[in-house]
Amino acid sequence: MRNEYIPYPAIIKSIQAESFDTKTFRVVFEDKDLAVNFDYKSGQFMEVSLLGLGEAPISITSSPVQKGFLEFTIRGMGRLTQAILQLNIEDKIHLRGPYGNSFPFEEVKGKNLYFVAGGIGLPPLRSLIQTVFNKRADFGKVKILYGAKTPDMLCFKDELKSWSGIADTEVLLTVDEPDGNWRGNVGVVTGLWDKTDIDGAGGIAYVCGPPIMIKFVIAKLLKSGFKEENIYVTLERYMKCGIGKCGHCNIGEKFVCIDGPVFSYSRLEKFPDKERAIA
Amino acid sequence: MKQFVLKKDNVRDLCIAACGEWETYVPVESAGRDVHFLKIEDENKESLLDKLALDYEYTVVPPKILAFPQLESLFEFGEQKIAETAKPSAKRFLFGLRACDVKAILFLDDFYRRNFEDIYYLNKSNNKLLVIVGCKKPLENCFCTSARTGPFLQKGFDLQLVDVGDEYVVEAGSKKGEEFVNSYKKFFDKVSKDDVENSKITKRVAREAVAIRLDFEKAIKRFCEDKIPTQIYERIAERCIYCGGCLYVCPTCSCFNVFDERKGNFGRRSRNWDACVFEGYTREASGHNPRSEKWIRTSRRYEHKLKYDYLVTGMSGCVGCGRCLTSCPVHIGISQVIEEVSKT
Repeated sequence: MRNEYIPYPAIIKSIQAESFDTKTFRVVFEDKDLAVNFDYKSGQFMEVSLLGLGEAPISITSSPVQKGFLEFTIRGMGRLTQAILQLNIEDKIHLRGPYGNSFPFEEVKGKNLYFVAGGIGLPPLRSLIQTVFNKRADFGKVKILYGAKTPDMLCFKDELKSWSGIADTEVLLTVDEPDGNWRGNVGVVTGLWDKTDIDGAGGIAYVCGPPIMIKFVIAKLLKSGFKEENIYVTLERYMKCGIGKCGHCNIGEKFVCIDGPVFSYSRLEKFPDKERAIA
Repeated sequence: MKQFVLKKDNVRDLCIAACGEWETYVPVESAGRDVHFLKIEDENKESLLDKLALDYEYTVVPPKILAFPQLESLFEFGEQKIAETAKPSAKRFLFGLRACDVKAILFLDDFYRRNFEDIYYLNKSNNKLLVIVGCKKPLENCFCTSARTGPFLQKGFDLQLVDVGDEYVVEAGSKKGEEFVNSYKKFFDKVSKDDVENSKITKRVAREAVAIRLDFEKAIKRFCEDKIPTQIYERIAERCIYCGGCLYVCPTCSCFNVFDERKGNFGRRSRNWDACVFEGYTREASGHNPRSEKWIRTSRRYEHKLKYDYLVTGMSGCVGCGRCLTSCPVHIGISQVIEEVSKT
């Protein structure tokens, strides 16, 4: 019997500051076989540990099309994540996983893809965005709608620029609180609906962000003609074990850790109202 | 089903003999009169068996604690290196369980095997012999006949003992149970026609003594139809002090928290019992809490047992043991909720 609770050591190989409170860590498993052979799907998460401080579920930000390393974008929010932000290159963390389901990928080939993210909600989607761009010709139009509180708090600033240069791809950004240098859109992410053409017929939408944002984005998507089963939301919940045992992430008879974190809106709708994952 | 007889005078010697081969647990009365399942070993067997309490009313702490301790180390670490602590237990002989608690053990076994296997639980639970000593005098808060979990079972146990006076009629519910009787046959006798008739009387008397009668099926149907008036939860929320005690003593509650401790370079990761009625149970680091309202946590607590467990396993997560009501400082029990819901 495998002991799923034992994590494996990994070494931080590079650190990219995304904003004042968020960094992207590239890590490589210490074990050479694991480093080379580790496989996962876009949308899955890992349990990330600092021994002595604890463990938290963090979605994998990198794409499985790039082997040999994993990336995690982490905002300093609680005790553990704040301590992770203090780490340096060559420091050790511990990982176990991958856990959870993943975004539908093969099934959506040929379709127009819409990614809608708020704040720290882009990192989980970035894995899929990279996977899609790795086979760009297999998909229709790609639109990335991304909002953050301030310009500084937008993740992957350089990548956002390079994505907008890819054929048939549009990147729309907005911030709530612009600074002096910001020349772009101001306001919530649903405000971007006025800036581009969003046609839900035959389109697939991937949504990640704070609960209140998810709620308003879903309303907009439905209005734009997306089918309920074509809207995918990746949820965040307080989690401990990641393997459907500790109970914390339960919603109805499901566990976000093993039945999710990706749920179609048609599935989300079936959750009892009072336990809805979205606000 | 094969039947045998075990004279009460032989119980002590059987337990002593069994503990040579099995890790043997029996119900023992403590100084405070509470009964706990304790391991009998060479050095303590006489003193513990002096306090063997097979006619106990109930154990405050359910037998889940034998495989799911309240606090358990998952692994230790030093200098960033992990030392695994999981190791399989010896085969276990659990003697003197109540029927409802055996149902709960089977429920938890299934839960910990489903999807990912939980090695810490299964190490302790995979190799065991479940021996029921059926309830003769059910407590006032029990409702096992309504939950169909007792006071005696048809299956699920390895051996089931039915008190018929100076002896027990022993029913073998599995091959493992039969093999156990064969390996310790000097303690067992042949069963007579009278014994069998007497065992039926004992079962009937016990069944009729269960005072609380609930329309369990109807309540579960209501829960599954999602037709529970929220006032039921709101009224409980007004009185409940959210201490979590009912969930700690619930024989099927399995939620746990995981935490790290560290001293210098050394430390350990452990898990301990948690409860879904706690405000911090679903609170995220950002402060966002999908179940910040008390009545929503209350609805989760009851719907998990009576709806979601049923949807996933076909079995209710409540086995009718009555511990939640018995332990509650403000006199709330799941039986009251079942009764109220079945009348809606």
